[in-house]
Amino acid sequence: MLRWRGLAARGVAALAAATAALAAVAPARAGDSGLELAVKATYLYKLAPFVSWPNTGWSTSNAPLVICVQGADPFGPLLDQATAGQAVGTHPVTVKRVARLEPDVGCQIAYVAGGAAQSKAQALQAVEGAPVLTVTDEARGPPGRGIVHLLLDGGKVRFSIDAGQADRNGVAISSKLLALAVAVKR
Amino acid sequence: MSPRDPILSRRLADRRLVTAAWASVVALLAIGALLAARAEIDHRAEAARQAEVQADILAASVSAALAFDDTTAMREYVDALRVNKAIAAAAVYDASGRAVVTYSHTGGPPPPAGAPRLGTRFAARHLTVSRPVTEQGSRLGEVYLQIQPEPWTSILARHSALGLLTVLAFLLLGVVTAAAAQLQARARLLAEANTRLVEEMEARGKAEEALRQSQKMEALGQLTGGIAHDFNNLLQVVHGAFELVRRKPDDSSRVAAWAENGIAAAERGASLTRQLLAFSRSQKLELRPFVVADLIAEMRDLLVRTLGPDIALAVDLDEARVPVMSDRTQLELAVLNLAINARDAMPNGGRLTISTVIRALPAGDPVLEAGEYVSLSVADTGEGMPAEVIQRAFDPFFTTKGVGKGTGLGLSQVYGVARQAGGTAEIASTPGLGTVVTLLLRRSALAADAPQAQASLRPVLAPKGGRTVLLVDDEAPVRELTAETLELLGYQVLTADSGAAALEILETAQPDVMLFDYAMPAMNGAELARLARLIRPDTPIVIASGYADTAQVEAALGGEAMILRKPFNMETLAQTVAGLVGGSEEPPAEGEG
Repeated sequence: MLRWRGLAARGVAALAAATAALAAVAPARAGDSGLELAVKATYLYKLAPFVSWPNTGWSTSNAPLVICVQGADPFGPLLDQATAGQAVGTHPVTVKRVARLEPDVGCQIAYVAGGAAQSKAQALQAVEGAPVLTVTDEARGPPGRGIVHLLLDGGKVRFSIDAGQADRNGVAISSKLLALAVAVKR
Repeated sequence: MSPRDPILSRRLADRRLVTAAWASVVALLAIGALLAARAEIDHRAEAARQAEVQADILAASVSAALAFDDTTAMREYVDALRVNKAIAAAAVYDASGRAVVTYSHTGGPPPPAGAPRLGTRFAARHLTVSRPVTEQGSRLGEVYLQIQPEPWTSILARHSALGLLTVLAFLLLGVVTAAAAQLQARARLLAEANTRLVEEMEARGKAEEALRQSQKMEALGQLTGGIAHDFNNLLQVVHGAFELVRRKPDDSSRVAAWAENGIAAAERGASLTRQLLAFSRSQKLELRPFVVADLIAEMRDLLVRTLGPDIALAVDLDEARVPVMSDRTQLELAVLNLAINARDAMPNGGRLTISTVIRALPAGDPVLEAGEYVSLSVADTGEGMPAEVIQRAFDPFFTTKGVGKGTGLGLSQVYGVARQAGGTAEIASTPGLGTVVTLLLRRSALAADAPQAQASLRPVLAPKGGRTVLLVDDEAPVRELTAETLELLGYQVLTADSGAAALEILETAQPDVMLFDYAMPAMNGAELARLARLIRPDTPIVIASGYADTAQVEAALGGEAMILRKPFNMETLAQTVAGLVGGSEEPPAEGEG
């Protein structure tokens, strides 16, 4: 395992170097295309296996894993299609669209887009310390970053991770996921 | 060769040993092969387990990259497998079974395009492993590993121990077989040597027997003069008695006294001849426990006659009755030899003292074991001998006597007897004063045979109703005397002077006992007995024999007849015949013999 971890670290370093090089020459960013959104939609539930919530986050073994989309939903039916029939372990994946995030909103994963009822920053603030994996999107613009921040890197959807925020929210993120992140904030 | 032959059985044992060695080696190799097969199975299982672990590691490593479609990262992980030369091919499949990243070793077979069935399998020496990629129960895809077939050199190296074992086993077998062959050859040589040794021992035994006999005969020769003189005296008495009886047959009271004298003289003569015959009889060495004092006492008469009238015999015997283990006749001969030597050393007369004492010998003697010994000394008052003669006195063929007077074997025989009885012999001599020869004879752990009780010889009469005896003897006086004696005892007697005449009588008559003389011309007693038995198989036969070699007579008769030692007296004859027909011991009605 040690060997693999070492390799993973090296891989991350290589990727970081590539990112820096691309940032210098690539145009600002591609648009939030349909394909890009579809990838992001799958990412939302694919994050789940690499994240552990405190036990309180689950009532029963077959309780659904709820993905909330707060504010202006960019996915539309894409997200519903992507998660249809999906499950994480024994937990079926469901999608819930909310205007506002509250600490007891009942989502394990929250895509924070910000909207009229609650800005992105307010929404993030609302679930500060709650067992919610917050996800923000570079395409949705600043300010405010969730635990996972989706971004485009070399034409591919990647993410950075705020490990400190994850700790504060009480969610544990797998090192494998951290290894894949383009940046990790401690 | 008999099956009990030790060398043959040794050879068989050697052959069995070789067979056992072969069997052991075969068993060893079989066990080795089993162990190798087992080791091979274990090795495969271990290889499969290792491959599975490696696949699991790859699966765990690529899970996030697979989930988020990070091909670069996956490629990094898969390429890392290149380091491991044992991996022929590897691939990562996504959840839909599409190969996302593949790798195959140069020249190796590519991984399958679609995700293969999960599991571990061996196909054509290739080990392939397919393991799922899961994360918290979510199936993300699959990884595939193909392991290079193990090189032959590695397989051989793994089983080199068995190979070494095989080579050593055969080497060992070769050594064992060669050694067994050598042993057999040596055993054969030993067997031959043994046969030669046995033959030589037999030849030596015969030579020794002949030597003993010649020693006895030499002693007898030395005795002859004295004995002949003695016999002459005895015959003189017998002759005189009969002369007187012939002159005055009617003086019944004096006739009885003369007859008494004659009988006494005849008995002394008989005793003397018995001793001489027993002594001269050729017989095997027979070691038995006996008491030396008894032997000397019995020899007294013979010794007195050997020494002659000019030498006084003194006998001083212990009463401890300590047994020694020796041959009676040989010890008699030794004493006789010493007596003859003493006689020759005292030409002008003197005194011979024979004594026995019991001596306890402490430990530490270089030759003799500690313990009790009978010390038998023969001392004379003769001229003695100088030290240089004493030194060589026990050597065979050493003699100081003139040609024809001695062989020089006498004292060596004395020494031999003493050594055989676990002791030794010593000479002490002072020139002019005499010589003492002492035999030390080791005490035997076995008790002496009880001396044969002298049977009370009372005349036994023929049973009532009378019995018939067929008497065959070629010598008329003996035949007549014996016939008269038998008639006196109440038997009816048929007589014949030859075997042929006897057989003729047997055609018609039916005697109850047959008494044959052994030494007869034309047909001896034993031959007659064999023919007589054909005619009268149930009639008991007695052979009267004065012949020296009893064993020869016994062999000729096959143990089927009694032997009556000649000369016999009336009592012995009566006892012997009555014993065969069941006679009574009642005193006869008229006159006793």
